[in-house]
Amino acid sequence: MKKYLCLGCGFSYDEALGLPEHGIAPGTRWADIPDNWVCPDCGTPKSGFEMVEIPYSSEARPA
Amino acid sequence: MSVRFVLRAAERGFSRLVSTGINATYVAGHPDGVITRHSSFNFHEYQSGIPGFGNIRVFGDEVFSPGGTGYNMHPHHNFIIMAFVLGGALTHVNTIGKVDTLKAGDYYVFSAGSGGKHAELNIDREDAHIIYLWVLPGLLLAPPSYLRNRFNAAASANRITCLVGDEKGALPIGQRLKVSRLVSDAGRTHLYRPASANGLYAFVLEGEAEIAGTVLRRRDSISLEKEERVDIVALAADTDLLLVETKL
Repeated sequence: MKKYLCLGCGFSYDEALGLPEHGIAPGTRWADIPDNWVCPDCGTPKSGFEMVEIPYSSEARPA
Repeated sequence: MSVRFVLRAAERGFSRLVSTGINATYVAGHPDGVITRHSSFNFHEYQSGIPGFGNIRVFGDEVFSPGGTGYNMHPHHNFIIMAFVLGGALTHVNTIGKVDTLKAGDYYVFSAGSGGKHAELNIDREDAHIIYLWVLPGLLLAPPSYLRNRFNAAASANRITCLVGDEKGALPIGQRLKVSRLVSDAGRTHLYRPASANGLYAFVLEGEAEIAGTVLRRRDSISLEKEERVDIVALAADTDLLLVETKL
């Protein structure tokens, strides 16, 4: 399970968590998200995300 | 010794954003607001350049015209956004609850973390000149934070001065990253020692310098890796450099 960061604004997508509020179920692989999907916060295209290996802050509540 | 790239001033990405038309909501200032942005790395529409260097993703050399020009309130997560004001005045507003006005020498570190918005405005009567630096965070979704400080060029003359990083008097950033500034007389040589395995991105704000054997003019930049010692020679009076050390 990988994490991706929007290079337009920093919004993060976590495959493990998905984005249920935006219709993407937990466990959805990045590759399975449509190519025309855009950042829900800033509209940056999917191609403008970068895979990151950065751990969560202990104070984060990513879900 | 290894030079990753040399980026000349004119090779950078260039955007000119106006406060009317398609960007009327994003760009503040009316009716004649103009932002000019030179990007060292891929950013927004500029996607033909260098993707980044270490944890650096944005290095923007920007000018906001007077009359309220800048960026209206917009959202961020995670990125640590820094602004170094070179001239004029920048008013920063954020959702942590801070309204701040920064002038030449002032700088801030805004960590968007779990989510925050900010506006960047020039409500002064002259152009605002700002360097924006975005870096990846050490941890995702950390509590948002805002810190500001001032670089005193007169008191720091001829000395590499740490602005951001794990040094006394600098703003902390919670990762192995350091931003320093050097204002030097002509003819002086300075030694920069990156921590083991770190890279260095050096940008000439003003003047001219020879860095690791390469002559760089105003707004040129260079990135270096696998260097234990970086020799910096100021070639012009009041040469002014911004140095970003990052893990690679």
